[in-house]
Amino acid sequence: MNKGSIDKTILFTVIFLIIIGLISVYSSTSVLASVKAKYAEKGGMIYFQKQLFTLFIGFFLMFIFIFISPANLKKIVFPLLILSFVMLILVFSPLGVSAGGARRWLKLWPSAFQPSEIVKFAMVLFLAWYISRPDYNKDSIKNFLIPIGVMGIFQLIFLKQPDFGAVLTLGIITFTMLFLAGANLRYMGITFLMAIPVIFYLAREPYRWRRITSFLDPWADPQGSGFQLVQSLIALGSGGLTGQGLGGGKQKLAFLPEIHTDFIFAHIGEELGFLGAFTVVFLFFLLCIRGLSIALRQTEPFNYFLASGITLMISFQALINFAVVTGLAPTKGLPLPFISYGGSSLVVNLMAVGILLNLSRFSSEVGYSKIFIQPTSKTRKYRYYYRVRRLS
Amino acid sequence: MHSRLKILKSLIVLCFLLIIFRLFLIMFVEHEVYLERAKIQQVKKEDIIPKRGNIYDRRGRELAISLEKESLYIDPVMIKNQEAINNILNNYLKVNYQQIVNYANNKRFLWVKRKMDDELVQKIKNMKLEGVGFITEHTRYYPKGNIASHVIGFVNIDEEGVEGLERLYDRYLKAQKSSKIVLRDASGKKLSDGIYPDIKGNDIFITIDEGLQYIVEKHLDEAMAKWRASSATAIMMDPFTGEILALANRPTYNPNDLKTIKNMDAVRNRALTDLYEPGSTFKIVTASAALEEGIVKPSTKFDCSAGFIEVGGKKIKDVHKNGVLSFEEVVQKSSNVGTIKIALMLGKEKLYHYIKKFGFGEKTGIDLPGEIAGYVRNPNKWSGTSIGAVSIGQEVGVTPLQVLRAYSAIANGGYLVKPFVVSEIRSPDGNILFKAVIKREKILSENTALKMREILKKVTEEGGTARTAKIDGNNVAGKTGTAQKYDPKIKRYSKDKFVSSFVGFIPAESPRIALIVVIHDPVGAHYGGVVAAPVFKAISDEALSYLNVPRDDAKEKGLIITLNNENSKKVAVAR
Repeated sequence: MNKGSIDKTILFTVIFLIIIGLISVYSSTSVLASVKAKYAEKGGMIYFQKQLFTLFIGFFLMFIFIFISPANLKKIVFPLLILSFVMLILVFSPLGVSAGGARRWLKLWPSAFQPSEIVKFAMVLFLAWYISRPDYNKDSIKNFLIPIGVMGIFQLIFLKQPDFGAVLTLGIITFTMLFLAGANLRYMGITFLMAIPVIFYLAREPYRWRRITSFLDPWADPQGSGFQLVQSLIALGSGGLTGQGLGGGKQKLAFLPEIHTDFIFAHIGEELGFLGAFTVVFLFFLLCIRGLSIALRQTEPFNYFLASGITLMISFQALINFAVVTGLAPTKGLPLPFISYGGSSLVVNLMAVGILLNLSRFSSEVGYSKIFIQPTSKTRKYRYYYRVRRLS
Repeated sequence: MHSRLKILKSLIVLCFLLIIFRLFLIMFVEHEVYLERAKIQQVKKEDIIPKRGNIYDRRGRELAISLEKESLYIDPVMIKNQEAINNILNNYLKVNYQQIVNYANNKRFLWVKRKMDDELVQKIKNMKLEGVGFITEHTRYYPKGNIASHVIGFVNIDEEGVEGLERLYDRYLKAQKSSKIVLRDASGKKLSDGIYPDIKGNDIFITIDEGLQYIVEKHLDEAMAKWRASSATAIMMDPFTGEILALANRPTYNPNDLKTIKNMDAVRNRALTDLYEPGSTFKIVTASAALEEGIVKPSTKFDCSAGFIEVGGKKIKDVHKNGVLSFEEVVQKSSNVGTIKIALMLGKEKLYHYIKKFGFGEKTGIDLPGEIAGYVRNPNKWSGTSIGAVSIGQEVGVTPLQVLRAYSAIANGGYLVKPFVVSEIRSPDGNILFKAVIKREKILSENTALKMREILKKVTEEGGTARTAKIDGNNVAGKTGTAQKYDPKIKRYSKDKFVSSFVGFIPAESPRIALIVVIHDPVGAHYGGVVAAPVFKAISDEALSYLNVPRDDAKEKGLIITLNNENSKKVAVAR
């Protein structure tokens, strides 16, 4: 185990995404913010300034996490899990803030904090620790049900808020990590089957069902359930190859709700065109591939699961967001990591990147081999994994 | 184990590719479709409210302007608080909601009230009701009220000229409706106006002087009250150019408050739409003709001692018996007998010729709507009495404007001018689209005009019929007119209905204004010298002061200082 330098590719990819995010937040909010009476003093800069402020907090935390050793990370697994649980419960206390019919925020200086973001992070950390324990038995029903149970508790609270987006992401992250841990596929299959009636039960009310299915044909009700998606598609579609130019977008003029948060990708498409949108998608792709390769080079199982967990957490959030904005998935309230306006997501994702950067220093040329099988050659590191599979 | 990560990785790569493919579909394949849809919702076509041009007086004072006013409409589909809307309509606008909705069956845009009070607009706006909206329109406003209302005219609710200059110059004043493309946000609110200029009509500058007009209106009102007259007209004109300086009629109206107009009587511009028999004021035609033809001299004597003359078997009398009068005195004392004798010397063909020469029986061509030509019969249709009647201003129908023009010809040395009101039309960007040209026609020799002027001066002097028109400091040249009105019921001249008039110009030697005052049906007196001449005096006196015309006697009174240097100028200090 040699301590190298942090992975520059990951660092610069994230910084690049954050810069695109800052510009887009400013561009998408400046017009409407400047006409809002309550922001009269700061005018169009208000969202940009807030985002910049949380960005400093995020970078600070990222910096700290770069220097926390994986051994120490294991120690904060439970405190963090309990902290996130408490925060999530506090949402229902007077400290909670509700907006748009959902109670998802917690009053924290300087602005509201969304505990669901920290829950995702805590869950990744917990799962990485749990499935990397030496006595973890992938065929044990108990070892399968405990993570599912923890997930379920959080999901129930999310449902109470309600925050279906968080339910979904937490589910995907948990199952993916259990899948990586080699969990019995039968267990997973049965859990899925059991989840189906639950989903139908949750969508029992027609308006919810319409919301879920409207993405299949948003034009059936462009003023109602399909409205946001229709506006999102108009934004993307009118962008073309090079877009309307930075600041030239018009969908931000109250046409597309949540354009600076969940639908900022549509805004980027409108103003910067296909080139801009493709750049964002490619950066996330790069982050994903690079993150996974860091994971594969880890020598410790905990590190391996943690790196892949974090990478997948970010990648899935981005992919779900892309899918929602392009109309491939039902509309869910999920931000695009590093880009969407919103402090909680930015801070937590930067923390996670901090860990990933830290782990990138612990990479070994032979990495993954140590966990499962002895390497046959140190020089052919990339071909190595395939050979291992053939041998086993 | 790693195989599962590989499966996952492939899955994720697939997802990324799917996203890229989907983006490609939306942003390239369907680009045009979405661009079109974006335009439909982001951009709206908006009518530019055209602004009607202004009307200014000769010194650039506003006589007609356009103000922005809000008009209220309702959209029945959008109404949420029906009760509140019913209340507003009932309490403030006095209309019943159900009635207008029934009236406009199922339309989504219903005017409720056009061009409302600003205060009420604010009140209703503050209630923030859905389904109620305002549209800014322009409304015509006449800052000076009824001043020159017969010249300016007025517009209807859609800003179309109905009367006066507003009607005749409608195509200049009104602006072409046009529309502009504006960006809007999701609530439909306009974001930018773009770079479209205001659409504005052309401005019209008229020859009316608001100050003179005010003087005329004021004294006409006083005369109407004093003589309890049925109607009256006064016109003031620059005798050399034909510029109408003031024109007023009674009854009149306030163009800002058209609802108060009870009948079209008040709207009619009597100065050029109504005929009257001019009576004695017409005698200058006979007199000028005789002088011009050289058949008389000012000193030629006429025996009027009989006090009447028989023409075609009919006796025409003088007011007083006059004895033997010189030509001058015939005019000065307005002797019918003397005038008819002159006319008989002229003969009817010559008389008719000069009547036409003075512009009677045809339109003056003034740029105001509704002018009539008047009524002058061809001499071959005249009866035996006609030459007597016509020469003293009976059996002819004229307009006050025609008479004023005839006197202007005396004032300006023999030119028949074409009166006009519009001096200039300017486009909003300052280009001059029209500029009035003075049109005049020589009808009398200068000599005749000068002689007539001297004679007319005597009218207001000792022995004349209109000493009441004389003002201090300046000589007035003019002529009274007192005509019995023809009563169609008894088919004879009425004994108690008169048209009393005075027409003249001042200062007589270098005329600045020509003025006619015509008062119909005065009660208590009817002679032009009693009824109309004092009005003439009052108006011209004030008008000369207003125009800073030096008084002829100012030098004698030591009020004019003559500077003995090269640029010596007469300076009128004060009267």
